Amino acid sequence: MTDLSPPAALDRDRIRELFDLRSSYNSFSGGDYTDDPYPVWHELRARAAVHEGTVHRLTGYPGEAMFQGLPFPDRPHFSVFGFEACDAAFRDSETFASSPVAINPIGDDVGVMNSMLSMGGDQHRRYRALVQPSFVPAKAKWWIVNWIQETVQDLVDRIAGDGRAELNTDFCAAIPVLTITGSFGVPVDQALVIRESLRDPAAVVRILAPIVAARRESPSDDLISVLVQAELKEADGTTHTLSDAEIYSFAILLLTAGSGTTWKQMGITLTALLQRPEVLAAVREDRTLLKACVEESVRWLPTDPMFSRHVTRDVDFYGTTLPKGSVLHMCLGAAGRDPERWDRPDEFDPYRPLKRSLGFGGGPHICLGMHLARAEITTGINALLDRLPNLRLDPDAEQPRYVGLYERGATEIPVLFG
Amino acid sequence: MAGQGLVTVDQTLCVGSGMCIVYAPESFDHDEHAKVVALDPMGDPLDAISTAVEACPTGALRLVPQEQEA
Ligand code: HEM
Repeated sequence: MTDLSPPAALDRDRIRELFDLRSSYNSFSGGDYTDDPYPVWHELRARAAVHEGTVHRLTGYPGEAMFQGLPFPDRPHFSVFGFEACDAAFRDSETFASSPVAINPIGDDVGVMNSMLSMGGDQHRRYRALVQPSFVPAKAKWWIVNWIQETVQDLVDRIAGDGRAELNTDFCAAIPVLTITGSFGVPVDQALVIRESLRDPAAVVRILAPIVAARRESPSDDLISVLVQAELKEADGTTHTLSDAEIYSFAILLLTAGSGTTWKQMGITLTALLQRPEVLAAVREDRTLLKACVEESVRWLPTDPMFSRHVTRDVDFYGTTLPKGSVLHMCLGAAGRDPERWDRPDEFDPYRPLKRSLGFGGGPHICLGMHLARAEITTGINALLDRLPNLRLDPDAEQPRYVGLYERGATEIPVLFG
Repeated sequence: MAGQGLVTVDQTLCVGSGMCIVYAPESFDHDEHAKVVALDPMGDPLDAISTAVEACPTGALRLVPQEQEA
């Protein structure tokens, strides 16, 4: 596990090219959106519990934007913006299903649409149960020691002598993808190839196939080994081990669900701290405060502010009849600033009492990787504070802004230190 | 500190998200299948425990009303 970081592979130019901010705010998910959506979302939430239409249209975004539950042009679309309604939809996964069709993960199709993200009911529980033990809070240390710490230190090494850096691309971007590929046993140079081909499952499978075969021969202490040894209980009581296709679909789910999200949420958290020097100073003094900062960032500006469900039966939902076959969009970004649940909801305040938001989702599909994401973000920010004295925004550079509609994050984060 | 009788745990509803452990780490833990167990005694203040109960995404935790406990 320590052969992960041949230093040359983490070349800064290569990272810049691979994690280019402009292309990462994909225009298909509303990447060219640069306004603050929260004032509109407050208005929408106050006006009605359920709105007809998609979140991007109701927000005033003129283009087509893609995300979970979109586009489905032939179906009626509804959106909710309050905490209670979003939470209720997440929790009732029978009425509000994650996929319009049943999922058959055993076939040859590899991809997120064949993963637990799209499953429902008992099938979802059985698949999720296989991997949940590797993602519990108690496993955070396993992740940090084996795959997070070294990448983080290596990235800080690369900037520590420069007195300045751009933290979003040069630091935050690579940590999540290298953590996940590290846990698969993929070396860094190939990890960057995976990053390049995230939208090409076949290329990812070419890299994973020999590793899966090797772990079937002789398991080691990593995630692919967990998967090849896992036994899935069927509804009829029989068990089977996961097929290669099932393992690939799960691996691709982790890569797509866990890389861009954690990158951007780390950038959002860092920006929030750097723009509030008094909070940053407090965190520097008392690192236990960092946990609350991460929780607050996920409430205040979740990177993925909208998820969707397919309505499986006619249902009266907060006064509106949603017909079977329609799509319900939960704007969990807006839910995180519901004044019914939080005082001064627009303020980033890590001192407020801890309370669940929906930034990691809710109900049975709640984020599998949330404790890993928390571990990456805290390990990353702690390393910056430990090793870059007097870390601050560069006052002469363009200041970071939050952009994007369905994948939100900061623009460049230029800092000085020393 | 509170006793175990304060919260009921339904392992069949638990998906092992670990949300309870985020808010009340001294009161909840997982078994090896990532199913929740309530610790006895519970080491967090009462408001942290009720935050944890409310945070469970699948309703696997319930606060036992105090009258019933007696
Ligand atoms: C701060 C970073 C992250 C955020 C904000 C986030 C957010 C979310 C949200 C909102 C969902 C619910 C989706 C739905 O209900 O349809 C979700 C699901 C999921 N996330 Fe994350 N996520 C993050 C990081 C990660 C990481 C690091 C991983 C793993 C390496 C991961 C893996 C998953 C998986 C596998 C699911 C599907 C779970 C299921 O269907 O049962 N996420 N995430």
